[in-house]
Amino acid sequence: MAIPVVEAEGIVNRFGQTVVHDGLDLRLEKGSITALVGGSGTGKTVLIRTLIMLREPQAGRLKLFGEDVRLLSVNQRQRLRERIGVLFQGGALFTSLTVLENVMLPIREHGAVPAEALEEIGRFKIALAGLPPDAASKYPSELSGGMVKRAALARALALDPELLVVDEPTSGLDPISAAAFDELIIELRDLLGLTVLQVTHDLDSIWRGSDQVAFLGRKRVLAMGTADALSRRDEPELVAYFRGKRSQVYANQYRLEHPTNVEDEHV
Amino acid sequence: MSRLPASFEVDLQAHRLTLIGDWTVRTLDRVRPRQVAPLAAGEVMTLSTDQLGAMDTAGAMLLYQLLSQLESAGGRIDRSNLNSRQRALLELVAQRRVDSHTPSKPRENWLAQIGRASVGSIREGISYLNFLGELTIRLVPQILRPWQIRWREVINEIALAGVQALFIVGLLSFLIGMVLAYQGGATLKQYGANILIVDMIAIVTLREMAPLITAILVAGRTGSSYAAQIGTMKITEEVDALRAIGIHPLDMLVVPKVIALIIVMPLLFIYADVLGLLGGAMVASAVFDVSMQTYFNRVPEVVSLSTLLVGLMKAPVFAVVIAIIGCHQGMRVTGSAAAVGAATTMSVVQAIFTVIILDALFSVLFNMMGI
Repeated sequence: MAIPVVEAEGIVNRFGQTVVHDGLDLRLEKGSITALVGGSGTGKTVLIRTLIMLREPQAGRLKLFGEDVRLLSVNQRQRLRERIGVLFQGGALFTSLTVLENVMLPIREHGAVPAEALEEIGRFKIALAGLPPDAASKYPSELSGGMVKRAALARALALDPELLVVDEPTSGLDPISAAAFDELIIELRDLLGLTVLQVTHDLDSIWRGSDQVAFLGRKRVLAMGTADALSRRDEPELVAYFRGKRSQVYANQYRLEHPTNVEDEHV
Repeated sequence: MSRLPASFEVDLQAHRLTLIGDWTVRTLDRVRPRQVAPLAAGEVMTLSTDQLGAMDTAGAMLLYQLLSQLESAGGRIDRSNLNSRQRALLELVAQRRVDSHTPSKPRENWLAQIGRASVGSIREGISYLNFLGELTIRLVPQILRPWQIRWREVINEIALAGVQALFIVGLLSFLIGMVLAYQGGATLKQYGANILIVDMIAIVTLREMAPLITAILVAGRTGSSYAAQIGTMKITEEVDALRAIGIHPLDMLVVPKVIALIIVMPLLFIYADVLGLLGGAMVASAVFDVSMQTYFNRVPEVVSLSTLLVGLMKAPVFAVVIAIIGCHQGMRVTGSAAAVGAATTMSVVQAIFTVIILDALFSVLFNMMGI
């Protein structure tokens, strides 16, 4: 069996008196798309920051690509970071660089690419993220919210990461762009074998854009499985999240498209 | 994970293109697809992938370029040896690739640069006048109706610009008082006129040194923080948010700062006066045999109220200049984080420059008035 891309065990995150995670476990297999969901303040962003090594948990073990990050030197950690692409919630584009320069920065820094191909690779990533060619020479302040997300995705994809971590990629996008974004993520996963972890509140992304859902609650990953499986569980948090009116529409649709699961229900 | 550098071989005899190594973003530095001669028309080559390792989108991009270059004169390369994933990557690259290179902007000649700089300076001047006008419109009604002033913000700003500056202003004034005493004392001692140290220190400190040092410190400390704070708020759209909520940004951000600095600056001047005199007294008593008692008895004899007032008169002027320059630079920020840095630098440079120019003007003015 392949080594899981992310393997977190017993993660504890505290801010002063506030305990955000208490013994959290999470395991992501290679090539999976996982939606990380949970109510506000359940520590989704904190978890992501822990997984990409921006935050040291107070306790617990984190393995990335099979390597225990606590045992790694600064340089080894740096090399692990290069294998992870991150799309921050607000995009976090460098405001003093154009979109193209933003995308080329990690390639120039960590890649080994002939100079004349650098720009073309950058432009390709920008096109891959679904931006028009003329966006390349614009500065982040000249972009719309949706375009910022796409430009940030282009930068996250710059080094062909094996793990892509995205924080609310479709929030603030119109439904059509959001659907296109979901499709793009799936397409990239199929082509590049990406493992994707996305924080999302978008029901479309949860039900259609992800293989599995990790639900944060009670300071840990309360449940993990397909959206359909989670919607059948009886924990009050899950009931509240998955059996709302809007979720019901998706659940019905899902069960129509996956008739085998409906039979399971009757068993 | 060790990676082999990517390379390729074109074997014209065997009609074979061999791909070697890992074609990934970290290993492509030796691949120069554009430098390969195209195949002759009608030539068909096979593609050997036996030695090909990993491939990512960057590798596929360069492979695409290589194949296009080789095929550009009518030759053909058989891609059937690529596995389905590699073909899919190549396909993706072919679909999404962007050909157009945006032309780089033509460089301006020196005349255009001078013109642009001149227009920029004029615009900056006009922008200051606009800001000053707008600020006056917001400020004057509030000063006439003081209960409308946002005293909470004013008090907060007083704490930041005044109370927290006490240590640095006091220390520097004290040290400069000491230095003045040393330098002046050494000369005066030769004439046996040690007692005149008091005259020199008192007059220089009250009229020039304390106001100037304090103003420069406040410009560097407080003016720059005004520019940085307001500039960052501009970038994060907080200033727009204020406007949208129906609070005039100048009322909330600028007016309290101006008022606070007008209140704080004279107090800091007096404080710096005292510490400067104290620093001088230390050296005078320790080195030049002028006792503390003699020193402080003599101060009121050589210093009239007008000496003190000449220094203090500058306070509100410097305060307004520093606050306006800092806030104006902050409000002008647009776009990037680098603009905040530039605005902060500009605010300090302009504020110190203006303060020193004004100080010189004051000296000339007071001289003409005979004070």
